[in-house]
Amino acid sequence: MPILSQIGSQLIDLCSALLLLTCFAIVAQRRLSACVDLFALQSVFLVVTAALVAYLTGNHHIYIAAALTGVIKVVIIPRVLKKVIERLNVKRELVMNVNVPAGLLICGGLVMLAFFIAQPIIPLGNILTRDSLAIALAIVLIGLFTMIARQKAVTQLVGFLVMENGLFLGATAATHGMPLIVELGVFFDVLIAALIAGIYTNRLQDAFDSVDTSHLTVLKE
Amino acid sequence: MLQSVLLLVAQTTILLAVSPLLVGLIRKVKARLQLRRGAPVLQPYADLVKLFRKQPVISTATSWIFTATPYVVFASTLSAGLLVPTFTSQTPMNFAGNIIAIVYLFALGTFFLILAGLDAGSAFGGMGSSREAIVASLTEPAMMLSIFAIALTAGSTNLSTVVHKTALMEGIVTDPSPHLMALAALFIVALAETGRMPVDNPATHLELTMIHEGMVLEYSGRYLALIEWAAGLKLAVFLSLIANVFAPWGIATTVAPAAMGIGLLVYVVKIAVLAVSIGVIECMFAKLRLFRVTDLLGVAFILALLGLLFFYILRS
Amino acid sequence: MIAVMVMLIAPTLAGGLSLVVHRSSLLHAINLASMGALVASEIMITRTVLSEGPVTALGQFVYLDALSAFILVIIGAVGLACSFYMRSYMDEQVARGVIAPTRLNLFFFLFHMFVLAMVIATVANSVGVQWVAIEATTLATTFLIAFWRRRESLEAGWKYLILCSVGISLALFGVVLTYYSSLHVLGDVSQALNLTQLLPVADRLNPHVLKLAFIFILVGYGTKVGLVPMHSWLPDAYTEAPAPVVAMLAGVLEVVAVYAVLRMRMIVDHAVPSTFTGGLLALLGFASFVTAAFFILIQHNYKRLFAYSSIEHMGIAMIGFGVGGTLGTFGGLFHLLNHAFAKSLAFFAAGNIHRRFHTVEIGHVQGLVIAQPWTAMALMISGLALSALPPFASFASEMQVITALAAQGVPGMWLSSTGGMMTVTLSDQFSRVGLAAVFLLSAVLAFGGLIYRMTGMVWGTPPEGVARGEIWTLGHLPIILLAVALVGFGFFLPPPIRQLLEQATSILLLD
Repeated sequence: MPILSQIGSQLIDLCSALLLLTCFAIVAQRRLSACVDLFALQSVFLVVTAALVAYLTGNHHIYIAAALTGVIKVVIIPRVLKKVIERLNVKRELVMNVNVPAGLLICGGLVMLAFFIAQPIIPLGNILTRDSLAIALAIVLIGLFTMIARQKAVTQLVGFLVMENGLFLGATAATHGMPLIVELGVFFDVLIAALIAGIYTNRLQDAFDSVDTSHLTVLKE
Repeated sequence: MLQSVLLLVAQTTILLAVSPLLVGLIRKVKARLQLRRGAPVLQPYADLVKLFRKQPVISTATSWIFTATPYVVFASTLSAGLLVPTFTSQTPMNFAGNIIAIVYLFALGTFFLILAGLDAGSAFGGMGSSREAIVASLTEPAMMLSIFAIALTAGSTNLSTVVHKTALMEGIVTDPSPHLMALAALFIVALAETGRMPVDNPATHLELTMIHEGMVLEYSGRYLALIEWAAGLKLAVFLSLIANVFAPWGIATTVAPAAMGIGLLVYVVKIAVLAVSIGVIECMFAKLRLFRVTDLLGVAFILALLGLLFFYILRS
Repeated sequence: MIAVMVMLIAPTLAGGLSLVVHRSSLLHAINLASMGALVASEIMITRTVLSEGPVTALGQFVYLDALSAFILVIIGAVGLACSFYMRSYMDEQVARGVIAPTRLNLFFFLFHMFVLAMVIATVANSVGVQWVAIEATTLATTFLIAFWRRRESLEAGWKYLILCSVGISLALFGVVLTYYSSLHVLGDVSQALNLTQLLPVADRLNPHVLKLAFIFILVGYGTKVGLVPMHSWLPDAYTEAPAPVVAMLAGVLEVVAVYAVLRMRMIVDHAVPSTFTGGLLALLGFASFVTAAFFILIQHNYKRLFAYSSIEHMGIAMIGFGVGGTLGTFGGLFHLLNHAFAKSLAFFAAGNIHRRFHTVEIGHVQGLVIAQPWTAMALMISGLALSALPPFASFASEMQVITALAAQGVPGMWLSSTGGMMTVTLSDQFSRVGLAAVFLLSAVLAFGGLIYRMTGMVWGTPPEGVARGEIWTLGHLPIILLAVALVGFGFFLPPPIRQLLEQATSILLLD
């Protein structure tokens, strides 16, 4: 059904664009709890994209991956992060290495870079998910940038999770999901990583009385 | 010929009639969300009538700019409104490049308003004017870029052509990414230009927090009525622009009366929905401090830029 | 296959038991038993692989050939040595009250999970499962690195977690791209990431996608190897972690990460001329080697010194692989083995020194030969081996690498992109002679730095307040064994290991 697949590919492109939009929103945010909420929103869009891909391609194991994403990234991880934020009593990022407009410009540049890198690959994709690989790479790069440009440990963690979201988008849209065992492994890893990082920030808070990673400068050279 | 005159009259009437309604609707939504009963939705009409009947009081320190500005602002905003498709995809003034004309008609109005704010020599007017200048200078590139993104996707700078083409595509929008970015940018610009939260609080009584209200502080009587009406018109024009460019389905593409009727109904519903959403957004966010407004408008600019980029990248 | 099952079950069982057992001697016994089982199964696997060639087991989940058997040998040997060393080291830490006895359970649990993850990464058939396992090693070792819970340990652990996770995420993108390209050739199969499926069709995969995938995987797994410029977590982590953990990290984990890169290289080299991957590997190898050599000169913390030495030697191995050819690849593989032994020996010595002298400053450590004779011997031997002096085995492997470099040069991928006959000839000449000169210079710098510090620590008289004499414990057994191995391999490489190396080399060269 060409019409259905055309509408489907439009919808998938729309969801990917929404994902990118939430990335920008995260970069432009100063409040930590807003960052976590935006990450949850992004994960919701991700679940919708995955479900769409599953419906349109008929690969039913992507539904499982989408469900797992929903549970882990929309419910569990944001809750863990919110708890961490409450316990640490940090509300906002006071000093940023890169200010918001410059950061957004850099993110725009990263999007261009991602599209440029993915140029030779895009024509290979099927009609359903042409640009999603490039957008996935863009989201990964933006997540990387967020980790570099921010100082609070929680925001760095959100940046890492955004990277994982981009990777999941790439895996789902471009390759219609990875083999199930790999997907499960990836989810498991992400969950454990988030939990470990949560525990870590608690320890950091206890040791340093702050989760400002600019204080982590004792070890040098 | 007769057709275009009729269209001109019809569109003018509709815009003038609808704009106070929009303002009233937003106020009502805000009131309800704040658990107040709020003024009736038709209150702005009553306010306009009252203001027109009152005698204006003008400071002797002002020049001709002060008295000319309300007319200039009203005329320019109404002209801009005639360039935007409302209930039919044919606009009364149908020429290439009218997208750009809209931006600069608004700019003309803003320019005169800024001057008028300075004209009375009061401190609050000056403050409002300088802030408005900042906001206007930052919204203009964002607005231009997002409009360009739309124009490029549709292949024309004639707004009615753009809307006509999109409306006829039967529900399939090509490449939603540039449109999404342009929509987000234009929405933020609309909030900034019409003086809504989180950029400016239209209901504030504190002069130190005013932008738009600060500039018009000195006005009274029919001048104030014209300026308030023009503000409502600006809101209506922006909402029409957003509604009809990004979701034009339902608009009348032919001159059949049935189509016109449906087009009118759909138009009113669409801008009412947008107005309600603006009301909700106004209740969700606090007013940004002025130096954070630049951040927000920077976001809008980047989004518009990205929309443009996406268009080029996806086309190649 | 039974051996594979044993290899996977032993660490799992040991890890589970470690959580519930409370007597420390029992914990150590479980540890030793698990490692022993690991080594035994590895010996069986080696025998199978040498006689039968590549094997798959457990229903396509496991793929074993000479290369994976070789890596398993390294894991087993170093793991067993560490287990013996931990016997005395951890007990002393508990006795001195540095950690509570209950934390030992956590330590051993994480240790066994770490070993399990590394084994899975080595034997997994699917590149995706390999990725999951390597990420699991990061997660397992994070708390091991921060085990002492000091401020510096937390800082090191956080840097490690963030940097390695970021790197490995990039590697995941590479895996996704690989899957993307293999889907086009193999169709929508759930096994399209398996090496057994990929290798036969690798020449039909899209070269652009594979190039991009290799770059991402090299950067990603290269972070775990500790290649410059992704190395900044390494010196901190190696300084702060407990000595047996560092020995495992430096000796084994880096090797497993290199293995992952090499597997990817095998796939990519079918579709893209091997000069591409070779050039990249050599580039990063040189960057690591030269940078680390300079840093070694200015170190005054002996653990950090060894950390930079790790970076240096990984760079040498990468250069060997980048140069390619039989000699270069053999040298690279052999160097991985020698470095694993030498580095674990060095960190055992470092752990012992720290226990006695309570400082990490090189300047404060003197007269080791009087205070701790066995450790002094270990330190000297490891220092000499790390400086690649004869008659140690690392001398042989480094000689092989530099001989290959001088003979073949690095395929001047990045030099000859300007084209032109003159440039090509010039770059060929330059890449052979010039790079060899750079190699030797860096080796001399590293040698100077290491030996100078070593001799400063070993000779002289110990400071006041430091006890003299060293009691022989079980923890000294691995020191003797590793030293013997390092010297012995320089003279005589046991036939099984030699055969493993030769077969692994030919696998890597796609014969």
